[in-house]
Amino acid sequence: MINPAHDPQAITRILFQDFPLWMMVVFYISAVAAMAMFVYGCYIQVRKYWRGQPISLKQMQQRIGLMLRDIVSHRTLRRRDTSAGIMHAAIFFCFATLFVGTATITLEYDILKPIAGWTFWYGDFYLWFSLLMDLAGVGVGVGLVYMMYRRKWLALPKLDYHRPDRQTAEPDYDRSWYRLEDWLFLWNLIIIIVTGYVLEASRLVWLQTDHLVWDYRWWSPIGTSVALLMHDFGLSAQGAGELRYYLWWFHGLIAFLFIALLPFTKAKHMFTAIASLSLRNAQPTARLPLTDPDAETIGVRSITDFNWKQLLHTDACTKCGRCHEACPANASGFPLSPRDMVLTLRELSNNTLQGRKIPMVDDLKAVGDGVNQIRSETLWSCRTCSACVEICPVGIEHVPMIVEMRRALVEDGEMDAAVQTALQNVQKKGNSIGENKRKRAAWTKKLDFTIKDARKEAVDLLWFVGDYASFDPRYQKVAQSFARILQASGINFGILYEAEMTAGNDVRRVGEEGLFEHLAETNIAKLAACEFERIVTTDPHSFNTLKNEYPDFGGNYDVIHATQLVEQMLTDGMIPLIRQANRKVTYHDSCHLGRLNKEYEAPRQVLKKIGVEVVEMPRNQDNSFCCGAGGGRIWTPDPLDMDKPAELRMQEAAQIEAIDAFVVNCPKCMNMFEDAVKSTGNDDKLEVIEVIELIASCMQLESSESNETDTTTPTEISEG
Amino acid sequence: MKILVPVKQVAVLDEDFELRDDGKDVDVDFLDYELNEWDDFAWEAALQLQEQHGDVIEIVPMTVGPEEASDSLLKCLGKGGERAIRVWHESLQDSDPAVIARVIAKVAQREQADMVFAGTLASDHGYSQTGVSVAAELNWAKAAVVSKVNISPNASCIQVNRELEGGLEESIEVQCPAVLTIQLGINEPRYASLRGIKQAKAKPIEVLSHTDLGLQDSDVGIAGSRSRVRRMVMPAKGQAELIEGSVVEQAARLADIVKQLRGGV
Repeated sequence: MINPAHDPQAITRILFQDFPLWMMVVFYISAVAAMAMFVYGCYIQVRKYWRGQPISLKQMQQRIGLMLRDIVSHRTLRRRDTSAGIMHAAIFFCFATLFVGTATITLEYDILKPIAGWTFWYGDFYLWFSLLMDLAGVGVGVGLVYMMYRRKWLALPKLDYHRPDRQTAEPDYDRSWYRLEDWLFLWNLIIIIVTGYVLEASRLVWLQTDHLVWDYRWWSPIGTSVALLMHDFGLSAQGAGELRYYLWWFHGLIAFLFIALLPFTKAKHMFTAIASLSLRNAQPTARLPLTDPDAETIGVRSITDFNWKQLLHTDACTKCGRCHEACPANASGFPLSPRDMVLTLRELSNNTLQGRKIPMVDDLKAVGDGVNQIRSETLWSCRTCSACVEICPVGIEHVPMIVEMRRALVEDGEMDAAVQTALQNVQKKGNSIGENKRKRAAWTKKLDFTIKDARKEAVDLLWFVGDYASFDPRYQKVAQSFARILQASGINFGILYEAEMTAGNDVRRVGEEGLFEHLAETNIAKLAACEFERIVTTDPHSFNTLKNEYPDFGGNYDVIHATQLVEQMLTDGMIPLIRQANRKVTYHDSCHLGRLNKEYEAPRQVLKKIGVEVVEMPRNQDNSFCCGAGGGRIWTPDPLDMDKPAELRMQEAAQIEAIDAFVVNCPKCMNMFEDAVKSTGNDDKLEVIEVIELIASCMQLESSESNETDTTTPTEISEG
Repeated sequence: MKILVPVKQVAVLDEDFELRDDGKDVDVDFLDYELNEWDDFAWEAALQLQEQHGDVIEIVPMTVGPEEASDSLLKCLGKGGERAIRVWHESLQDSDPAVIARVIAKVAQREQADMVFAGTLASDHGYSQTGVSVAAELNWAKAAVVSKVNISPNASCIQVNRELEGGLEESIEVQCPAVLTIQLGINEPRYASLRGIKQAKAKPIEVLSHTDLGLQDSDVGIAGSRSRVRRMVMPAKGQAELIEGSVVEQAARLADIVKQLRGGV
């Protein structure tokens, strides 16, 4: 590699070669100034976050481990946008390499050499270093060009910053500054890269007669190619030396500018995204934050009511639009985009919390109709489906922020009249439907056996029935089917009868924390008086809340969803199947069983075991598209002139050929899709049916008295 | 300026219910209780005025009823207001609206209230008497079925709109002090969060008896009432019948029905 005639120590790049002293002085002053500005900017940002509420962080080691895993694998960036993910990885890893390279030179030249006289940046090390840096520059360059291509020519809708929560005439409708910022960011980086190569090339042309440089030129393949090109165009060594001065300064100053402004520009996501990923909560939506019930007020009213982690989240957003694209409210034309909400709060915190003093409370209000405020209609559009949280590549947790703001709205009594009615029903009657408490178990009268009263005798399995299974005429059939399955399988099970109250999943997600606490405490007290091994429920909402949220109130149970139970029972051969279903269907993952509790397999396994072939919709599992009923939205009728999320979903299912059913596992999905299948005109093609009902039909449990009007159930198949 | 808002905890019937043995009321086993809807609107009207004008307006909810009726006061206090008044004594049992109005009027005098906002009627008994009777007791001006209120504190007059039949509204000026009975739909009552209601338990509810208000036993209860409930009945359900056949047959059947109903033949 190295010519034996050359001294390896001489094979290096002489820094500041031929620079007069004043230039070096100016350079170091600029460097220190840029770094001082950077440190000051970081201080401003950290102080801004610090103005949020305190939080205690546990299991940081584990969280940082997850962050590192996600950054190294680029998993969160590759999801649902592979090319952007790969290109970002190219930029990220190559940029990091260039940064480490530059830092290595600084380490030697400015620290080790002056202090201890150590040097290592020469010879073989230098040559390999040169090659690596040259190639890293290519990586960054290719990535940046792709990002430009993506913005300019792919014109992805998710990168359009026009807002669904503002009218065109409003001042903060068109966020053109953001587009400008994106382009400045890309151009800034690309200019640094390109000038780097040209600078390298001009040095080579300038020093073409120096064997210590020229003989090793191909260790910088890109720079050398540019150098040869420049040489062909007639650039003389002297001219190149001249050019090098100017480029050197231009390259250096623009890099300093980048560093100095980093804490105030999009570039800060390099730090905030890492921090945000390290602060991720394992169950941001499944287990909503607790509040102090004795506090004077609860929820978020002002920007400073958010905790510092949430303020940092707003700065981590890179406007990538994955949440914007995944949000069912946004897709159906509701005034909510999770991205725009986060960016609105970012603007508000930048405007109010970066100064030396915090302004008056009125200027800090996060919820309102003004510029950089979140409107209540935006907050009420959310279905808490967690699609945004799921897909955010930088770990932003939108749903808890929305619920916290709703808590303040509820405290002030500001909500849709329909939500108010539902909450009043829950207060008075323990169910949101407004039915009489005493009728909670009326659905059991259609069974030809009596379900045990878990309050009076010990059972193995306590079935928490839930509001819709108890009162909704359509879903009562599912409840009856499930009861027959358990009975036929010889399970010792019981229900709470009138003592059950709604678990409170929606109540909590609407933001009525006081009522939720009351429900949790009451149900926990009722459950404490019963003897049982574990709890089952057909309702994924109750399942989630009993499993993940009741422990915070002292209710620790082994909770299982009906499909999980049935899957186990099928595996253990406990369910006497009489026939196979032999159907081809599509299966819809409910948010609460799927995304929130990561149970995608059990329902699919069940369907497979009873002879149902599942043809997946394009959006499935963690990308499932919410029916639109979560977070209390089931209580608020969607306006007639809008596409309902459930209708969009039904249209997606209707694209699949040769299926005859849309299978659900949740009473709210059932409710939404029973309507949507009709309103989209697919009711002659698709039957909306529950996993449980399919099993019951394979056990031939559909007794005639419960289904006198249901002609779709096959009953005449004879078995040996 | 002080606004007194008398509210009632009304009884709500279950879908199936039975009457008491004495036949004078519904068996309590079949009743739920809640804040009277009209009073919810009256309280909201007071709350909105207070929000509009600030602390120059004090609003106080009150009720005449036993301990359990405090729930309705808590619901009010959960939304706003700093204190409430509850008047009760067993001798107040079975009072008619005139007696309740007498009690409310005494409280208004004791509180030196400037206005009384009552609901137009109560959803259980539906007398529509109490509010206007308070005005009579106090000899104050009154406006019933009010659909809009416009008050500037310390003015001698207030402007209100009253709902008339046929969608018509009447805008009138009323001399202060005055009693208004508030109609549904005047506003959108806010939601009282359960946390708000719980925290309202820390606010004082002053409990008074009729004697504290200078009333005698003979002024209240059945003794002081001018009307009393004799019995409650469930009217027999009418039965419709479609009469078919020729004109002659129809006429004959009609004649039979008439005779049957007259109890003759």
